[in-house]
Amino acid sequence: MPVVNFLIYLLIMIGIYALLALSLNFQVGFTGLINFGQVAFFAVGAYTSCLLVCKAGIPIVLGFLCGMILSGLFGYLISIPTRSLKADYWAIVTLAGGEIVRLIAVNEGWLTEGSFGVMRIPQPLKHLLSKGTYPLFYLVLVAACVVFMYFVLRLLINSPFGRNLKAIRDAEELCLSLGKNTRKLKMEAMIVAGAVAGLAGALFAHYITYISPENFQPIETFLMWAMIIVGGRGNHAGAILGAVVIQVFNVSTRFIVRYVPLGPDVVAPLRMVIIGLLIVAFLLFKPEGLVKEKKKIYELKDNQAGEL
Amino acid sequence: MDLPQIIANSLVRAAELSLLAIGLTMVYDILKFANFAHADYAILGGFLVYTFNQAFGLNLFLSIILAALATGVISIAIDKAIFKPLRKREAKPVTLMITSLGIAIALRNTLRLIWTSKPKTYAIPLQKPFEILGARITPTQIGIVATGLVFMITLHLLLHRTTLGKALRAISDNRVLASACAIDSERMIQWMWFIAATFGVIGGTMIAMEHLLYPRLGFDILIPIFCVAILGGIGNPYGAMLGALILALAENVILALDFGYILSLGGLFKVGSIQINTGYKAAISFVILIIVLLFRPTGILGRK
Repeated sequence: MPVVNFLIYLLIMIGIYALLALSLNFQVGFTGLINFGQVAFFAVGAYTSCLLVCKAGIPIVLGFLCGMILSGLFGYLISIPTRSLKADYWAIVTLAGGEIVRLIAVNEGWLTEGSFGVMRIPQPLKHLLSKGTYPLFYLVLVAACVVFMYFVLRLLINSPFGRNLKAIRDAEELCLSLGKNTRKLKMEAMIVAGAVAGLAGALFAHYITYISPENFQPIETFLMWAMIIVGGRGNHAGAILGAVVIQVFNVSTRFIVRYVPLGPDVVAPLRMVIIGLLIVAFLLFKPEGLVKEKKKIYELKDNQAGEL
Repeated sequence: MDLPQIIANSLVRAAELSLLAIGLTMVYDILKFANFAHADYAILGGFLVYTFNQAFGLNLFLSIILAALATGVISIAIDKAIFKPLRKREAKPVTLMITSLGIAIALRNTLRLIWTSKPKTYAIPLQKPFEILGARITPTQIGIVATGLVFMITLHLLLHRTTLGKALRAISDNRVLASACAIDSERMIQWMWFIAATFGVIGGTMIAMEHLLYPRLGFDILIPIFCVAILGGIGNPYGAMLGALILALAENVILALDFGYILSLGGLFKVGSIQINTGYKAAISFVILIIVLLFRPTGILGRK
């Protein structure tokens, strides 16, 4: 049984991080927005949902929704100072934004319980299911969310909105010259990405049932980055594959401690050294990642070519 | 806290931050990317100082010099192994930036692996602070300010009086034109990494001397350093110095201010004392950074 429980836990964590990677990929891979503070969306979604449910007593479904909305709003907020900036400034500001969110969670104890964390977060439909089947139910819930968001994002990317985002990534000046409001488009992309990552946060909080600022260290952002770099940017399958690869490595090395003669204070940093080196190695030797983006090339039809 | 003390503390902080920001601004200027591993190079140096000082029993000055040189060499090695191939491939600055993030993660955790997360201190005996113009300041702090000044002057002379400095400024202005003038830009880039890392190690070690040395310190000082570099204008070493002074003053003044007194308009109304929670000290540089980027993204002195 412990093996099954571990597998379910692993799959749920893969699902939650797949949502985060999809969201990050939407910003980085499709729009070209370098977000080094992705964990902030995760934190906003998690805290909003669990605090509203625990303290205001609203139904969990509404908590999930509010988590997504507030996280989307946070995406809007963070894109105000950054909307007209270059990629590198955007990276620095988002990194700072992520840290501000964490500092607020640590320091505003009246709201967030500070570093003690929020405990006893209720789980959806817990009373209806037996203890044994509940993790399985949660896995189905997470999987459903991933599938749903996968199709939503795919629909968005294949829409005119998505093509505009890719145009910003590839040639922003050109996009501007065609009269596109790139600032507004970037803001909208951040709102969408925020909502997706906020959902992951809410799913995480109600699964783990205890969250504290420790869960939202910048290292989580770097894990998500490793996922999209290993998996490949600019396509949803790559983001999900990256989440699988990195999360299997990340979670299983937590349990390997019992079987290898290395202490946890060796395994934890060693794991992150490998993650860092993996990012560098992929950028050096396989920059497109495991799944390459299929770029659509719009060819001129013969009759159109004749007109030119 | 009174004004002389605020000024003294700010001078110390500014000396540390400006030495760190100079390396960041140089790399940004010449290679056109934000190096997220810069602060971690500096803290690697800080740990090497610790090892030379504590394990080998070398004197602190000698340890700092050795550690700065060693880190300079390491930074060149990292450039040769990682950044140079990417430059050859003409990778975009964004790719270089993400790569530097990967290096930062690997390096920071290597520090954890070797030296553990337990905070460390250097062997500096307990000092009795002097009182200068009403401010209490320790001999170490005086040393930090003096070191900062000496290195600023050194940098100025290096950039303006030596062939190396002139070549560095040339490749920062126009790399193609510089190579047309027979300047070996790859060799100059190595020198640039070396200078950036050595200055960073000295700044980072000074910060660790004032507080504690731990692997995450690199991440904790990263945003303040970016704030200083952007505040002063990227690529402008003098801007970095001014930016460091402004940020240091802002941090110390904002934490010392009683906002209740300001809100009560000097005692006209009854408002309790309102002070910024010291837990938010780190947030001050974040907020200043965001404000600068909103209103003056080129920094105070502008790009050079």
